[in-house]
Amino acid sequence: MRRFAMLAALAALLIAATAGATETNSESLAQNIFQVPHLPPTDSVLAVAVGSPMPDFDLPALDGSRVRLADTIGKKNLVISFVPAAWTPVCSGQWPGYNIARDIFEDNDTTLVGISVDNLPTLFAWTRQMGGLWFPVASDFWPHGGLAKKLGILRSDGTAERALFLVDKKGMIRFIDVHDINARPDLGPLLEAMEKVHAEK
Amino acid sequence: MKRFLILVAALALVAAASTQALAVEASEAPGAKPLPVGTAFPDVPLIGPLQPALAASLGIAATGPTPINTVDAEVLVVEIFSMYCPFCQREAPTINELHTLIDKRGLSGRIKLIGIGAGNSDTEVEIFRKKYNVPFALFSDSAFAVHQRIGQVGTPFFYVLRKNAAKGYDIVLTHLGVIHSPADFLATITAKAGM
Repeated sequence: MRRFAMLAALAALLIAATAGATETNSESLAQNIFQVPHLPPTDSVLAVAVGSPMPDFDLPALDGSRVRLADTIGKKNLVISFVPAAWTPVCSGQWPGYNIARDIFEDNDTTLVGISVDNLPTLFAWTRQMGGLWFPVASDFWPHGGLAKKLGILRSDGTAERALFLVDKKGMIRFIDVHDINARPDLGPLLEAMEKVHAEK
Repeated sequence: MKRFLILVAALALVAAASTQALAVEASEAPGAKPLPVGTAFPDVPLIGPLQPALAASLGIAATGPTPINTVDAEVLVVEIFSMYCPFCQREAPTINELHTLIDKRGLSGRIKLIGIGAGNSDTEVEIFRKKYNVPFALFSDSAFAVHQRIGQVGTPFFYVLRKNAAKGYDIVLTHLGVIHSPADFLATITAKAGM
């Protein structure tokens, strides 16, 4: 009887451990989001415009490589998705959506890069809990918000605006959406701009 | 010692059950207040272009907006989803299976299935539809206008509706989170709808 009780206890502990392990990355992500209040829609002054050259950048990426403007010039169009901060509600739902739009970026000869002003370890943990992303994610942490400042999208609290930039193969900015930080930008206008730029000879 | 071990076993099983119960596979929506079962579902507009065959299957026009109450169904299953929701992405093939199962059981004339993309534009809904080859009608809700009227629920969320005598729809079942078994869910739908 004692052996049976021990066996039952072990079996129960095993079941409990298994139940905990079945929690998926996405479930954990949903439970670890830091809720933020409604913020002023924008809090910066844009320093670039459609038709102006994209400021140069060279940022560290999660995979240990560098993400550089120079690497896309003459080769690919480039979309930069700036998000304000890791582990916050709208940001955590934005990039997972881009996971199912990969074909559209590729069909339009366009590279997508995700950037935030968080440091690499934070971005590593956050994107892992998203379940992974197909596009590179780079950190504009140090000097803090260096690229965001050049673009004029660094907010007064040190986060970045929620912004999309489309840069053509000549390095010229072709589309800008500095979006209300509290809402996710509709992919439609960006995709239209990508198709238009891609259609040019 | 024996009692202690039994106590450990019981506590561990309770812990396991709690973990499972807490792990709702859904994108949470702060402030969500699902509409209760037994109440009337609001006559929200269905927005977005539809393929003519899909529109015909629902008895509505191919160009919206169309009031949901005009959908011709005895039971209407409404999935609230988002292309940005990883759970909805993961679950999409299962909901396609549910659609197939409804058809195989000969219930497609009585039970209709639609999706509403909370916060999704027509373009975003189309990306989701193409990615997962969704065979049933999907509608957009880019400004969350419908979402606000139906309780700002997390995604995926299911409202199962039954046509009432006034030609509107009443809520007979609600479900937050991923559906694992289309057969079990269909059995629950038919039971709750009194079919």
